Amino acid sequence: MASLKDIQRQIKSVSNTQKTTRAMKLVSTAKLRRAEELAKRSRLYAAKMNQVLAEIAGRIKCNKVGGIDNRCFIDIENPKTIDIVFVTADKGLCGGFNIQTIKAVKKLLTEYKAKNVKVRLRGIGKKGIEFFKYNEIELYDSVADLSSKPDKERADAFIESSIEDFKNEKTDALYVVYNGYKNMITQELHVNKLLPVDASQFDCSEAEKSMLEVESQDEEKMLDSLVNKYAQYAIYYALIDSVAAEHSARMQAMDAATNNAKEMVKSLKVQFNKARQAAITTELIEIISGVESMK
Amino acid sequence: MDMLKLEILTPNGVIYNGNALSVTLPGEEGEFGVLAEHSSLTTLLEAGVIDIEKEDKSVESVLINWGVVQVDEKKVIVLVEGAVAIRGESEGAVAKALNNAKELIDSIKDNNPAIASVTARLEAAAQNLL
Repeated sequence: MASLKDIQRQIKSVSNTQKTTRAMKLVSTAKLRRAEELAKRSRLYAAKMNQVLAEIAGRIKCNKVGGIDNRCFIDIENPKTIDIVFVTADKGLCGGFNIQTIKAVKKLLTEYKAKNVKVRLRGIGKKGIEFFKYNEIELYDSVADLSSKPDKERADAFIESSIEDFKNEKTDALYVVYNGYKNMITQELHVNKLLPVDASQFDCSEAEKSMLEVESQDEEKMLDSLVNKYAQYAIYYALIDSVAAEHSARMQAMDAATNNAKEMVKSLKVQFNKARQAAITTELIEIISGVESMK
Repeated sequence: MDMLKLEILTPNGVIYNGNALSVTLPGEEGEFGVLAEHSSLTTLLEAGVIDIEKEDKSVESVLINWGVVQVDEKKVIVLVEGAVAIRGESEGAVAKALNNAKELIDSIKDNNPAIASVTARLEAAAQNLL
């Protein structure tokens, strides 16, 4: 049995850890509120933006708007090279948050490898970058310190080359993988196909109801700049959604850690009391037997 | 007169959501007005002022820096990147909104000749409110 001193030391160490995890939980809760607010406000905008783009793509698919030959809106059947952008956190200690994203990316990797598709990975966030580096999987492009502090300009700059590559037919699809915020206790993994714009949800009979004109002298130019804004915003939204999810995941993980520490202190205290009682009993027996022997 | 449903959304939230008699938008090839039952169209907007004629015929102005509008028979959805609504209860609030609007104009990098007229329009809109 461990000595009294050892147990005492252990109790102290565990309760120190508990203090740290509790503090981290409080910090995450405060940060979560801000991040959640930001994500919530942007959600509607992101959804409408997707809707507008999907409608254009849908109408092109259903041949309601003829003569547009923009590859951003036309489904490519046999992609040869694809870009996958993934978003992970810069820091750990947030449960399975990062590993979920990494697993999804790995799954996509093996899936596309089986189909002989070349995959280029673009990583955002230290944790994901470190993981792939450790496993010697090459990243085409990566950026750190962006997922903890989402910044529109840096995000735009990061994704720009990916959009350009797609437009110049160097890649045939652009996916984004991130773990998004659902509510305080759940995160939701998103694997979104950014380019070409996904029109599979679009119902062609919808197109019959009203006619749509894309009003512009040079519609190509308009669609081009619209796609840019859409993709840039989609990445930025993925970042802020991911931050909110990260904080909620960390809050949960730290809450669980605090509870575990509490449990551990409790059981250590029982052990400590038992050991102390045992020591007292031994001492008493020694005294009594000493007295007995002197009689 | 029929009303149209108008929604103006920015990444930071909803700026306007409600009925309007008409709305004037700064399209890429010039301003255009939209009334209820307008035929469907989707187009880009450039930096400028959106004028919303509300149910009580009062006009509200919103400054935008870039946007896309989707019009169909029933509703108008405007997605903009940055926007400032010129409104406020008091003189101070209007002045503050005007300042924000000017900051937004300054942040628009390209030297568009339309920008100068936007500034003038803005001040006129603010004058009307005061």
